[in-house]
Amino acid sequence: MITPVLLAVLALVLTGPAPAVLARSTWPYQVPRAAVILWQAIALAAVLAALGAGIALSYSIAGEPGQPKFDPSSPRDLVAALILAMTASVVIRLLWAVGKVAVGTRARRQRHRDLVDVLATPDGLVPGLRVLAEETPLAYCLPALRGARVVVSVGALDRLDDSELKAVLAHEQAHLRARHDLVLEEFTALHHAFPRWVRSDVALEQARTLVELLADDDARRRNGPRPLARALVALAGSPAPEAALAAAKSATVLRVERLADPAPDERVLATLTYVSAVTLLVLPTITIAAPIVKAIVDAVS
Amino acid sequence: MEQLWAAPTALTVREVHEQLAGTRELAYTTVMTVLDRLAKKKLTERERDGKAWRYRAAAPREELAADLMRDALDRAGDRREALVRFVGQVSDEEAALLRESLSRLDSQEQTG
Repeated sequence: MITPVLLAVLALVLTGPAPAVLARSTWPYQVPRAAVILWQAIALAAVLAALGAGIALSYSIAGEPGQPKFDPSSPRDLVAALILAMTASVVIRLLWAVGKVAVGTRARRQRHRDLVDVLATPDGLVPGLRVLAEETPLAYCLPALRGARVVVSVGALDRLDDSELKAVLAHEQAHLRARHDLVLEEFTALHHAFPRWVRSDVALEQARTLVELLADDDARRRNGPRPLARALVALAGSPAPEAALAAAKSATVLRVERLADPAPDERVLATLTYVSAVTLLVLPTITIAAPIVKAIVDAVS
Repeated sequence: MEQLWAAPTALTVREVHEQLAGTRELAYTTVMTVLDRLAKKKLTERERDGKAWRYRAAAPREELAADLMRDALDRAGDRREALVRFVGQVSDEEAALLRESLSRLDSQEQTG
């Protein structure tokens, strides 16, 4: 009976307090790559622990060992079956969310790309670059397996000099190359898989910020920190008619501050982060797998 | 597409081809394929006129551009992961913070 309780506690900690604490700390921003992995590990471990708790609970409730046959007249077996069914429904819900987000994102992106291709003019500077005749300063990318696009508006071009533009393009191409959108898609799906009243968007928000930092790092390595920081300020600081103001302290401030004060090489911190990510994943897996392995070993010997 | 936007009425493939022939050399079949693809993407509408199709832009250029911008600037949407924007908008307060960081970066560059 101890296994399901432990797993349930682990799942709860990983969905509530752990993300909240992690989101408030600043050290992940020093090691964005490792931090993205850690966030993914937390999400995956939480799911595994929750499923493991369900399975373990249903096992420990169902009849005595040595009587593995399902007995519909036994209330214990019925409860166990119910718990198993609920666990399965969680899996289905997750898969459904993943599918829905994937299809929805692709449909919207496809439509957007069609519009871009009709309205914007190609530019030879970078493959896939399209220039949009709009005054609103805009720069974004449309990730895809083939035919990815980087879209820049005329308004943005007006505000950037050559080196700044190069920094923006390097940033966007880093997104496209590393398929950061897929990372964000996972967290969006996870976000949607939760019922509305327990849903929190810390993980998704953090993932958004971290992939921006990753792309920033890539652009900085290519062109140095200055053009990128200047481009960020130029595009973010310019008033746009449609712009709604960001509610919280936005990632933009963080990004520019980070470019201004580069952190020393944080190899130790990165390693520690990777180790905790792996530990998080191994923990629930072992807890689930151990009884099964033991049962197999018992059966063989 | 420009031809369709400029035209007051729906055009056949032949008419579009003739108009384009002045500026660019395109095969008739190329024009046909492009128009057909645009119709599949619902960017044009077409109707039968005898044996040929007549094409018309599904919406004025401005409307499509507005659609695109709305989509690009949509920050609340559920599916905003479709686009990854370079940077969002910031408040005045944050803009001041940004400029401060930038000047620090500039001074580092000069001393270092």
